[in-house]
Amino acid sequence: MAGLALKGTAKSFGGVRAVEAVDLTFAEGELTALLGPSGCGKTTLLRMIAGLEAPSQGAILLGADDITAEPAHKRRFGMVFQSFALFPHLSVRDNVAYSLTISGVAKAEAAATAERLLDLVRLSGYGDRRIGALSGGQRQRVAIARALAQEPQVFLLDEPMSALDAKLREEMQVELRLLQQRLGITTIVVTHDQREAMTMADQIVVMSNGRVEQVGPPQEIYHKPGNAFVAEFIGKANFFDGAAEAGGVRVAGTLLETETGFRAGSDVRVAIRPERISLEREPAENRLPAKVVFVRDLGPMREYHLETLLGPMVVEYALGENLNPLLAGQDTEVSLPRDAIHVFPREARMAAE
Amino acid sequence: MTTITELAPPTEAETPRVPLRAALTWGLTLLTLGLCLIPLLLVVAISFGRKIEGAAWVWDLTLANYQRFFVGTLWPDEVTFLYLNQLGYSFWYAAIASVLAVLTALPFTLRLARLSRPAQSAWLVFLLASLTLSEVFIVMGWDILLSNNSGLPALFKSTGLTQWLKDTGWFEVLREWGLANPRNVKFKTSDFATILTLSYLVWPYAVILLYPALSRMDPALSEAARTMGAGNWTVLRTVILPSVRLPLFGTTLLLFVFLLGAYVAITVFADPSKHTTAVAIYQNVRGANLNAPFGATQAVILLVAAGICITLGHILNRWAAAR
Repeated sequence: MAGLALKGTAKSFGGVRAVEAVDLTFAEGELTALLGPSGCGKTTLLRMIAGLEAPSQGAILLGADDITAEPAHKRRFGMVFQSFALFPHLSVRDNVAYSLTISGVAKAEAAATAERLLDLVRLSGYGDRRIGALSGGQRQRVAIARALAQEPQVFLLDEPMSALDAKLREEMQVELRLLQQRLGITTIVVTHDQREAMTMADQIVVMSNGRVEQVGPPQEIYHKPGNAFVAEFIGKANFFDGAAEAGGVRVAGTLLETETGFRAGSDVRVAIRPERISLEREPAENRLPAKVVFVRDLGPMREYHLETLLGPMVVEYALGENLNPLLAGQDTEVSLPRDAIHVFPREARMAAE
Repeated sequence: MTTITELAPPTEAETPRVPLRAALTWGLTLLTLGLCLIPLLLVVAISFGRKIEGAAWVWDLTLANYQRFFVGTLWPDEVTFLYLNQLGYSFWYAAIASVLAVLTALPFTLRLARLSRPAQSAWLVFLLASLTLSEVFIVMGWDILLSNNSGLPALFKSTGLTQWLKDTGWFEVLREWGLANPRNVKFKTSDFATILTLSYLVWPYAVILLYPALSRMDPALSEAARTMGAGNWTVLRTVILPSVRLPLFGTTLLLFVFLLGAYVAITVFADPSKHTTAVAIYQNVRGANLNAPFGATQAVILLVAAGICITLGHILNRWAAAR
């Protein structure tokens, strides 16, 4: 197996630029999630990697080999499609054994491999079934087994969970990640679900409008968002527009003390994660009066919707955190820790929109 | 608990609706059955009739026409298979032309289904419009194109292609195939021209019948096969054709049945010794023979034979699906 690299790879459809030139490295044996909203170019990027779309410019490298001009059937990257694309005229076993059968592997050997893969995806005994007789989750497992049958160097999955219900999706995310770790195969997953990306990925590539916004491990993407778009798309955040000053950002007449790195007077946008805001006495940084307007109890966590001098603000407290419950209408104070305040240029956010 | 409202008789406005609807349903059913069955039953009845030499025909209950069709009039002293041969040619031309039309329409329709929506609409409108041309017009067009004096043979000769065929030895091959006379290529009369015209005649139908199935087919199926190492031919053989097996079979069968009744193309392009049952029926019913009972017999036998073919095809298809 070998890592995959994109060098200035871009794709245009007519006059429309679907993917701007990107440089990305997919480390060998790791799982990378291409994450972004619909139409951001993540599927186009995956299809270029699979060989189903030819890049308009740039190169695709597998290890040291340039595979840009290689057609899909020569690359033989295992791919799971959004619709699973299982062949309805074949049984489950024949679907899984398809790549082996067409490449001339003996029937008995192909069937044995198919059975082994079905066992791997916990579908032993389903080999003779028709595709129409399977549930969504079972179909997804057959699609995974089928894509793995040819022992691909790179495993591609295009929104593999989108056809599954929420509960099954969560289960399959963990299952797929465990399978990928067991096989140690370089894997790229396209998803618009940040939770899915955070669950499965070693590395997340956040995309928007055909551009790569940020690349990094899930925790880094979440805790150190590179721009306002990433801060908003990954998790929740409270946003406030303001202007940079020496020692902080002035928002609605209030100075929030933090490191900005911006020239004084620059228009900036401030993002603060709801779980980083404190309703307790400590830490006593950027303390503001607030009024509770709504309390949303979600079971494992509680959301406080506040009215503050900066504007509306949401604060999250997880179950078990030491806080006396507040009620709607109650006056309180919030603390905004300096290191919880992310400051971004306002233009970048607008460009991302 | 039963209420007073439930026990009350139906209102006056509700009662007459049911008999009226039933009468309408029965009336329409009988009308449809009548319109379909009466002509068919008439043809069956006439097939047992008898021709009066020098006059018309009379109702009868004789099997002489059926005997004549299968073994000839002089049976058992002499056996002839003239009419069975004609039936054979009906099937031969219809089968070859329908398969050819479907085979050529398939790649075209596959490409059509991948075009943009406006392009697809434009092509479909064009194909639908072409269906307004009658068989007579189409055959006339091909007649001019393939005629020995003004069509392709003349073009072959004037461009030197005929001479090139002679020089390379292909001309002799064409002669063996009946596609050349001693001087030039000739397409009339020939199986080639007959099948070509028949295929052309039903080709738009083939596209229109295949289009819904092919346009509904998930393109991800082919792409999935490609990512698993399948080249274009393997994708076609192992994914596309099996996925649209039923529409392909249905289309071929429909065109086959349609072509069993082809008349004008056969009379213009087929050698008289290879004329089909449809031509013979016309000659008996409206043409020179004026033997309506025998024409009706041929029609009934053609119908039954087509029915047997469709049934066998259906059984074959189910057997293939079960495998």
